[in-house]
Amino acid sequence: MAACGLFRSLSSNFSTVLPLLTRTAPLSPLRLASKPYFRRTLASSSRLSAALKFTDKHEWIRVEDDGIGTVGISNFAQEALGDVVYCGLPEVGTQLAQQDEFGALESVKAASELYSPLTGEVVEVNTLLADNPGLVNKSCYKDGWLMKMTIAKPAELDALMDEAAYERYIRSIED
Amino acid sequence: MSALSVCSSLQAPLGPQLEQTQHGVFLLGALLRLLLGRIMRRSGHLVSCERKLFVVGVSSSPVRPVVGSDVSNMRSSSSGLILRSRSTDVYQNLALEDWIDANVDLQQRGVLLLWRNRPAVVIGRHQNPWTECDLRAMRRVGIPLARRRSGGGTVFHDLGNLNLTFFTSKKAYDRKRNLKVITEALRRVRPGLDVQATDRFDILLNGHYKISGTASRLSRKSSYHHCTLLHSADRSALSAVLRPSCPGIHSNATPSVPSPVANLLDHAPTLQWEELLDGLEQQYNTEFGCSSASTLIDPADESAFPGLSRTAAELRSWDWTFGKTPKFSVQTLLDLTDGRSSARSSTRLHMEVKNGLIESCELDVPEDWLPRPLSAELTNSLVGERFCPHRAAAAAAALLRTESGELQSRLHNLCDAVVSVMG
Repeated sequence: MAACGLFRSLSSNFSTVLPLLTRTAPLSPLRLASKPYFRRTLASSSRLSAALKFTDKHEWIRVEDDGIGTVGISNFAQEALGDVVYCGLPEVGTQLAQQDEFGALESVKAASELYSPLTGEVVEVNTLLADNPGLVNKSCYKDGWLMKMTIAKPAELDALMDEAAYERYIRSIED
Repeated sequence: MSALSVCSSLQAPLGPQLEQTQHGVFLLGALLRLLLGRIMRRSGHLVSCERKLFVVGVSSSPVRPVVGSDVSNMRSSSSGLILRSRSTDVYQNLALEDWIDANVDLQQRGVLLLWRNRPAVVIGRHQNPWTECDLRAMRRVGIPLARRRSGGGTVFHDLGNLNLTFFTSKKAYDRKRNLKVITEALRRVRPGLDVQATDRFDILLNGHYKISGTASRLSRKSSYHHCTLLHSADRSALSAVLRPSCPGIHSNATPSVPSPVANLLDHAPTLQWEELLDGLEQQYNTEFGCSSASTLIDPADESAFPGLSRTAAELRSWDWTFGKTPKFSVQTLLDLTDGRSSARSSTRLHMEVKNGLIESCELDVPEDWLPRPLSAELTNSLVGERFCPHRAAAAAAALLRTESGELQSRLHNLCDAVVSVMG
């Protein structure tokens, strides 16, 4: 898991805290075949995958080989949120514009709105979160994905922060 | 805008609790207008919105025009704004919270909103109303149900239950500090009162009775933390409605944590409502270093709060109130009787409900009680319907019309039993 050492102080200055789910369900064969690098990256727990982009609301999105974006929240966000007790996620098929509210995470801290990082359509939602919302805290980058969506406007993706920029951003708001 | 037209826009009865100078009223109005104006400008709303003063206060002396220095003085000295809602409609007040959260610039200063509602049950964002409250009992006495946007558990609102909402930027979000305002205020007005905030952000009286519960919401740029404060609520009504509607519900919705409650008035019999509010407002000013007098606002004034009534309508809708319930299943045993004889039977009922709609419904009525096709017709008629006694009864009624005789009576009984599960 990346960015563990990034911050120690809990800050309430975060936009969304997404529950991260440790995904224990087996990947489909198609996914397995098309993304061997995915597993290698996960195994090196000290680095974020280079493919992750971040929003200023502490969400990440990773574009898979099939052009679908997986969305989750960053470690900064899950730490700030505290123990997640419920994940309110959208229905598959929901159309989202960038920044649309698509759900909420409830934690001991508050109910925090979730905002869509991009414009697109929800194609999958992490159903394991329903019975196990605490997975969000345990594994925010690896299995703690929230939803998968199509990427209707790739230009929006280019405007998001890469890992280095996000780390700088975190440091700047902690000051 | 001429002084005359400003005067006429302030035509509203003065609330009894307002004892501000005309100057103070006007300055606060200007501050609110400025806040409103800044947001309106940013979001490109009509310029006319900026000109509305939604201060509901009137004075007998002529209002003098605001000058820039008044407003900037007000701004620099005031790091907080205190509002009281004149509405007692739970949906309007919840919509008002959303409106303030979305439209008022909270980065530099916070807002305290004081409000109360006519009797209502308010559940948290991700709760299940069928497990949290007795919907049948509420319907009987006309107590509505509302789902708020913040998390947390179920509360009973009435005119003896004060609600406080602390709006801040996300950076300044601090529930402990907000609760300190309340506990300090209480100790000031009644020294020796044993009130303590807990780790769960409840406030306990005498270490035992809950007098306040907390919930909050974090949105794009801002946050609000709201809490109740039991002054003189109707406790028998409270316990009558805060119990489950039906047994056998399995759900991962956020559960409430029940607590014994007490009213402040029972332990501080001379603490009147006004004194409590004044004390809280003073303490808010002390804590946040401001000197605001409270302003009465009217969320029903659409010109002052554009879009609020639409938000209130969303909050009133079945889709929000019931449809937002996390997926749940109902598994229970129903007793069946026959209106004509003393024969009895029973059946298991299993329903899956998602978005408040019945996704699946299974019964295992013994074949000798009712033919399988009949109970299957009933379950089929329910799938896709709202998990709601009215809708279910309507679906069942259509089915009942096709039967007669002994079967009709048993079918009727089965339908009633199934419908009764829905609250």
